[in-house]
Amino acid sequence: MTLANLLAIQRLQAFEASPQGVQRLLAAAERNLADAQLQVLSRENRFDAAYKCILQCAMLGLWAQGYRTATSQPGHHQTTLQALPLTMGLPNDLIIVLDALRKQRNQNDYEGDPVSPAVVTECIHQAQSLLAHTHQFLQAQFPHLLK
Amino acid sequence: MLTDVLLGNYRKRVLSQLLLHPDEDYHVRELARLTGTTPGSLHKELSKLAQAGLLLRKEQGNQVRYQANRQCPVFPELAGLLRKTTGAAEVVAQALAPLQPSLALIFGSVASGTETAASDVDVLVITERGFGEVVRALYAAQTTLGREINPVVYSPAELKNHVAEQDPFVLNLLAGPRIFLKGTPDDLSQLVGHSAPASL
Repeated sequence: MTLANLLAIQRLQAFEASPQGVQRLLAAAERNLADAQLQVLSRENRFDAAYKCILQCAMLGLWAQGYRTATSQPGHHQTTLQALPLTMGLPNDLIIVLDALRKQRNQNDYEGDPVSPAVVTECIHQAQSLLAHTHQFLQAQFPHLLK
Repeated sequence: MLTDVLLGNYRKRVLSQLLLHPDEDYHVRELARLTGTTPGSLHKELSKLAQAGLLLRKEQGNQVRYQANRQCPVFPELAGLLRKTTGAAEVVAQALAPLQPSLALIFGSVASGTETAASDVDVLVITERGFGEVVRALYAAQTTLGREINPVVYSPAELKNHVAEQDPFVLNLLAGPRIFLKGTPDDLSQLVGHSAPASL
């Protein structure tokens, strides 16, 4: 599946992001990662913040390539995460873990299952490395979006 | 539950043991012990299944041994059906084995036999390893089972804390039906400490 195919089946929409928009989303991702590390918050909210950071980074990958997900479509989180190998060249192996975190979020949001410490640790770790990767990727391939 | 309806609980247990271990042959008594059935009725059942061609009957001295017949035309389909239902425990246990967890068990609908076609396999994994490592280890097993696997990961110390704090999610999970993949109920009691509630 290519990004163009995902566009053809309407899982993605064409979108031209402005540098201001990219920087705003990047700053939001950074704030979420910082919040995820606030020990006074519950594990569920720290997890949520770290997950948001991951999703925002994945969205930045799509934006940079000229796409966005249709937020009105069911499964747009999954689409955004699964596009990461196509947008920012990340390994498929990583998507296995990110997708499991997405499922944990559903379990917590819709079933009230608690988030275990191991999941919070993993989510923050993944958010940190994805945010660092996003910075490098934008700097190297789309530097005009950071100016 | 699906295989209970199709095959009956008795036959399901016997066929799972034989068809999911097709390289092993079993003496009737051994098979009765492994499946929690009685040798008397098992004799008749096994000889019928052998006549139908699903099992091989071998005589060794004065012992009769039974083994799955891989040449039976429906062997792959039947083994696949059992693997996706009763075999879930084995598939998940094998996938987790390289991580050497302190303890692992299946809880939820698969453990209680109330799963539907869309049910996840809920697995509690007690390990010092990270969530990501557990997820990666289980990934391929999802394809084998045709079901999603939903791991809940705690370290031994975290599990003990959650039980001590009477965390309702963990207590429910531990008190409900479980299929042990690694460790025994005794190991679990030891892990959570002797202050564990009686329901454990």
